[in-house]
Amino acid sequence: MSKLGLFDLAVRYGKLTALANLSFTVAEGERLFISGPNGAGKSSLLGAISGAVKAAHGRVEMDGEILSGRAPEEIARRGLSMVPEGRRIFAGLTVQENLLVGTGQRRDRGAVADDLATVFDSFPILGERRHAPAGALSGGQQQMLAISRALMTNPKLMLVDEPSLGLAPKIVDEVYERLCALQALRGLTLVIVEQSSARAARVGGRMLLMRGGRIVADGDAAGFAAQDLLTEAYFGDAA
Amino acid sequence: MSLQLVFDALSLGGIYAIAALGIALIFGVMKLVNFAHGQFIAFAVFALIVPSANAVATLGIGALPAPLLITLVLAIGAGLAVLAERLVFRPLRDASPVSLMVASFALGVMLQNLLLVTYGGRPKAVSLWAGLGAPVPVLTAQVPLLQLIVIGAVAAILAGLALMLKRTRIGLEMRAAAEDFGMARLLGVKANVVISGAFALSGALAAVVALVLVAQTGVADVRMGGQIMLVAFIATVVGGMGSLPGAVAAGLLIGAASALLQAFLPPEARPFRDAFLYGLVILVLLARPQGLFAPAGAKPRV
Amino acid sequence: MTTQHQIRRRAAATTPVLLILVLLAFVLLVLTFGDRSTARMATDALISVTLVVGFWIFAGNSGVISFGHAAFACVGAYVSAWTTLRPAMKTMLLPGLPAWLAQAEWPVFAAALAGGAVAALLALVTGAAILRLSGIAASIATFAFLAMVNAIWSNWTPVTGGTSSVVGLARYVGPWVALGWAAAAILVAALYAHSASGLALRATREDEVAAAASGIDTFRHRLLAYALSAFFCGVGGALMGHAIGVINPDAYYLSLTFVMLAMLVTGGIGSLSGAVVGVVAVTLAGEALLTLEHGVTLAGVPVSLPPGSQQILIALAMILVLVFRPAGLLAGREIALPVRWVGGRRTDSN
Repeated sequence: MSKLGLFDLAVRYGKLTALANLSFTVAEGERLFISGPNGAGKSSLLGAISGAVKAAHGRVEMDGEILSGRAPEEIARRGLSMVPEGRRIFAGLTVQENLLVGTGQRRDRGAVADDLATVFDSFPILGERRHAPAGALSGGQQQMLAISRALMTNPKLMLVDEPSLGLAPKIVDEVYERLCALQALRGLTLVIVEQSSARAARVGGRMLLMRGGRIVADGDAAGFAAQDLLTEAYFGDAA
Repeated sequence: MSLQLVFDALSLGGIYAIAALGIALIFGVMKLVNFAHGQFIAFAVFALIVPSANAVATLGIGALPAPLLITLVLAIGAGLAVLAERLVFRPLRDASPVSLMVASFALGVMLQNLLLVTYGGRPKAVSLWAGLGAPVPVLTAQVPLLQLIVIGAVAAILAGLALMLKRTRIGLEMRAAAEDFGMARLLGVKANVVISGAFALSGALAAVVALVLVAQTGVADVRMGGQIMLVAFIATVVGGMGSLPGAVAAGLLIGAASALLQAFLPPEARPFRDAFLYGLVILVLLARPQGLFAPAGAKPRV
Repeated sequence: MTTQHQIRRRAAATTPVLLILVLLAFVLLVLTFGDRSTARMATDALISVTLVVGFWIFAGNSGVISFGHAAFACVGAYVSAWTTLRPAMKTMLLPGLPAWLAQAEWPVFAAALAGGAVAALLALVTGAAILRLSGIAASIATFAFLAMVNAIWSNWTPVTGGTSSVVGLARYVGPWVALGWAAAAILVAALYAHSASGLALRATREDEVAAAASGIDTFRHRLLAYALSAFFCGVGGALMGHAIGVINPDAYYLSLTFVMLAMLVTGGIGSLSGAVVGVVAVTLAGEALLTLEHGVTLAGVPVSLPPGSQQILIALAMILVLVFRPAGLLAGREIALPVRWVGGRRTDSN
């Protein structure tokens, strides 16, 4: 059974169609990149999966269970976690408090403490500044915090929206390194929105190309680099 | 005289701070400016007495021993607020802040008229804890016992609330939700729990204000929450919308300004004290439209 | 040649005309078939149209809710009383008035204009401070302004009579006078809504940040609408006083604020027609509930609501409207003739 399945999913804002009847599945442990130009519907897609955006039509399933129509917190409690665009750190809360916000539904108190220790081990800077307000961290550190915060909910499936946005290339390398290591460690399923398909190709995994709310291509990220599918997705076939 | 003034300022400011917290807590989690808060206060006042149109009230709950009475009135305040959330504001969860505000105004009118229908329109004499008016010598001043109790209670409530927000799970979730509700929900924070919690706290704080008002004035009046709610609103704006420490600080500040105006305005201008106060606030906002204690990152969300 | 745009503008121009015609028909109907009490009801309703349409000019176009407009009505009412009451009356009731005002005996129309003008001036001065705040903070500040005006009016006894009523105002306002002012308010509101300032202000209502980015000076347009809006509320307040002959500060406080809000929200804040329809709907509902409070006999069984339930039920209705029809009865639409009716002969059909 697939980890995540979208069936005929549509999202509309008023008359504007953001997602036009999308269907695809993601296998357990898979790493899926979603790429495409601005306005392709990438963020709407993540929003519809996480419950933040209401679907006009169709459904989303995780482990065969229907998610559509549920509140975001219920979906989160079923093992889906989100690293949102722009990170959305709770700037006024301390680093440690940020990490603990999502642990309310976990009954395994001991494991929460272990996870916290693991986060501080893998990101010593977060440990050092655990009692400092999160707003004082640098952009790269905030991205690490956002990822760690999502992990603290003990998710099975993690959605990551534009992790490289606004970060220096070197920091982006580090972010991806960490993400992949964590994925291997935990057997996570990852869905990552990544504007740069070159980056996706380098990291490796499956890639969906979107344009105008539709999927225009689906395949191995490394394979895309060689083809002109990308150019086509960005500049259209009318050229 | 000056010491007496300090006590006046502290006790008045303390009550304003408690009322402002009641407003700011709800605004923080759901961007609702609760115009029914004054009626929450009035409702808690009338909960003390037996329904009748008589001019002198017969105490109902108000006749119970203090610990029981306080617990019960706080519970009634909290219960009313939670009920209001469930029946009125939950169906409006996705509405604009303007609709929420207007709905709360309508709820306030409804509650006020319910009280009018049940208790009649005339203010009633209520003697609750009459012994608390006795003056107690403190250094050079004679301070009413009630004032000392109010100051102590406010300090205890503020400390307790700060501890709750800082140390408990629901406190953490409330603070996270106040910063970014959508993100908190994406992390599994239950919107209904946080919002009900904020309403319950806000209602209990309204009940605290109610008890102090009754003990101070010895009167139950359906309009009695109105003035204090207005000051609380102003405190939340001056404090920077949604900032809890800001609301407390601004509440204390407004209490102090009010006590000072009362002491130093010429007698013929004293009836206009509140008008001066509101004018002063508008001037303050002219200088700092985002509030005195607005968080550094406060800017309109795009 | 008539462009599509011109035709649409022409259709929009029919809105105030239609609204005024409906109100005219209402007055004729009431005067022909009703008695004195229905005529009173009609007068009250038409005064409410002046007030609520005035209120709409600001709230409807800017999207900012004001809780302070009852204060403008208060000021307008007292200005009209100060300038029209018989001098002997004023020396007795309001000994603190300056001599020129104590001696003034203005014609009622000039007094109403003055009431509106003073209210507008007050709006300019206070709005200059209040409207610099963001939407919600501005709403709260207007509430503070209302309380401030009420505090001053309730305590400034030599000039306002304090909390006791000022009596003896000329009762010149009947259905026709009220209709005249209601029509004026509707016309001005429609003109403003289609003016450059009105259009700019509505753009800020949709998206304040984007409007500011495209160079719209939100503050200036809000202030203009605020002053214009205060003018008609000031006039409406004066009309209220001259309809019943008595004024006191509490008649222009929270309950008036509530009624005006209820009317606007029920009809729909998004359109001028909504403001007018809201007045009619709430007035009719209010009358019906009042009748029920006094008791009626249904199928031989006397039925009556407990006194005070009118307000409770109107408040309840308002909440229900907000939940189930958040944009109000008209949902932002205008009453207008269909575009094809006003298109005229199409000569450009080649």
